[in-house]
Amino acid sequence: MELFDTATVLTRVLTSGVVMSIEKNDRELPGLERLLTKRSGRAHAVLVNSRSAAVHSALAGQGIGHGDTVHRPGLDAKDTAFLAWLGVRAVEEDPGAPACAFDHIALDAHTAHRLPELAAGSTAPALVVDLTPLGFGPAAAVLTDDPAIRSRAERLKIFGAHDLRTMWTQEEDAADLVPGVQFNYRLSPLVAACVRMALSQAVRPLTSTGAAQ
Amino acid sequence: MITDFPKSPLPLPDPAELSGELAAFGGGSIIPKELRRTVFPVITKEDVFTLMLAQRQTPEKVVADFAESYRATVGANFALPTASGTSSLHLALVGAGVRPGDEVIVPAFTFIATAQAVVAAHAVPVFVDIDPRTYCMDPAAAAAAVTERTRAIMPVHVHGLPADVPALRALADRHGIALVEDASHAHSASIGGQVAGSFGDAAGQSLMADKNFPLGGEGGIAFFRTEEAHRRAADYVREHGIDYEMSWVAAAFGSGQLARLPYYDAVRARNAELLGKALDETGLFAPPHVPEGHVHAYNMYRIGLRPERVGLEDLPVWAVKEAVHELLVAEGVPAREWQNTPIPCHLPFRHRDGFGGGHPFTLNPSAVRDHRPGDFPVTVGMLESTLVLCRELRAPVEYERALRYADAFRKVAARPDAIRKLVADGDYRRPYEKAARLG
Repeated sequence: MELFDTATVLTRVLTSGVVMSIEKNDRELPGLERLLTKRSGRAHAVLVNSRSAAVHSALAGQGIGHGDTVHRPGLDAKDTAFLAWLGVRAVEEDPGAPACAFDHIALDAHTAHRLPELAAGSTAPALVVDLTPLGFGPAAAVLTDDPAIRSRAERLKIFGAHDLRTMWTQEEDAADLVPGVQFNYRLSPLVAACVRMALSQAVRPLTSTGAAQ
Repeated sequence: MITDFPKSPLPLPDPAELSGELAAFGGGSIIPKELRRTVFPVITKEDVFTLMLAQRQTPEKVVADFAESYRATVGANFALPTASGTSSLHLALVGAGVRPGDEVIVPAFTFIATAQAVVAAHAVPVFVDIDPRTYCMDPAAAAAAVTERTRAIMPVHVHGLPADVPALRALADRHGIALVEDASHAHSASIGGQVAGSFGDAAGQSLMADKNFPLGGEGGIAFFRTEEAHRRAADYVREHGIDYEMSWVAAAFGSGQLARLPYYDAVRARNAELLGKALDETGLFAPPHVPEGHVHAYNMYRIGLRPERVGLEDLPVWAVKEAVHELLVAEGVPAREWQNTPIPCHLPFRHRDGFGGGHPFTLNPSAVRDHRPGDFPVTVGMLESTLVLCRELRAPVEYERALRYADAFRKVAARPDAIRKLVADGDYRRPYEKAARLG
């Protein structure tokens, strides 16, 4: 993204005065959620403040926690360490499990336009999208079609609250959706606004030959 | 253009409005509906310019420069910038040597992040009651909760008032355990000139955009007394693959704000003093207590109720509180409960599922209690008898707005008959009988 574009986006959000993620009037986070769901074809996007937060959300969203084993081949050392910190063991083969617990992709300025095809290639119930390489600081999303994954992941990132309607209230009928350990994994609207513009500008590069299909 | 610039100014106070009918009963409100918004954080051209310049630097340098400036301001020895207040508290505990299964003593009244940070460190929070005047951890209650497995005491500088650090430091030293501050409300708060965040073996502090010192969205910072503690925390996130880094966007915004923090602190102090004098004169309302030598940061401004001063001592104080709350909101002062239930009675600490399967609570079953609100009588008493101003006084509000707040409290305090009528007609419940609120 051009520096001028980043400057314009940041100035626009600063002028609005809404820089806090739990502000009722924030439009940046919902805007990025809409863009991600539209591009990926998934029903829900949960925005978080880092890649490991997204991995945690993807697992907790499925009710996977300490003492559980998941089918997730090909994890690197960092993710394996993070799962171990959560108390979750990842195995390469699990005949009992039909799909990986989560897939993950990372988007940077050169690959951002590939989100639709990368998402289409993922079969896991939760897709972790690392948005950090776009260059605005740690940022990530969990994409899913499962409303329960979304509900649990949303609560994990904001101390058990769900959205602005129920925000700051712990007591709920659906107590199984309220996580035990709770974090602040919230993404800044300023970062979300920059990510949104970077993704909006990401288009498939023109072919250099101009040849017909 | 979407802007937070106010559309029109607030009129100067008018003494005639004080004798008018209460807004809840059809009179005019002291602060008209369309003029109630307070702007926070205040974002200036300097903030915009700082962000523009940051684009030309590496993200690492932007974050490191911010952390170093703020560390120097606080006077802490070492700092670690993080993505949130919760992560900063987590790393403060880790740096201070808290290990899985350890007990950490925390107050029953705080934001839930204090206790959740203990769980994040795979340790077990042990809850104790608060002091009735400062609302911070009661050192005697903390002393009674120390066991062989206690590794740290984590007081919270509640609403911006430093806890009784000398007593808690002595307690920690007596037992050879760490003192870890939760300074999330206490930017620029101090005792004897020493700033919160620099008292303990470690400290965590939220820098989210709703704090006295706001970053661009979300952020936090952990402070450490020793290099060893700092290294232990830095190694921990690497070893466990945890991404707790601060965004350069948030940090650059903070660098712009830091230069103006003393100005905003001074306006907050001025407004708090102005309102405090007015409240005291009403009889019904009591301003926050500030011990000698302590500087309160007023991230929140908790107001006590003294029903006996206006002949309402026969009514339950929580009912008086609800009635007063309704009357104040109608006058245009958005007072809040800001919590209604001791933290150990919130869902996560009743169910204690933790990371799953009860971890880490199962590591130390003897530290775990099934608490009821009555276990924390001082906390419950405070929740039943106080109301809070948050952003409406945290923001560096105009002098005329502070004067109008004072007028709204005067107007309500002058009408014990109206309070009595609302209590008689209302169906009020104790705060903790309602759904537990985080804030």
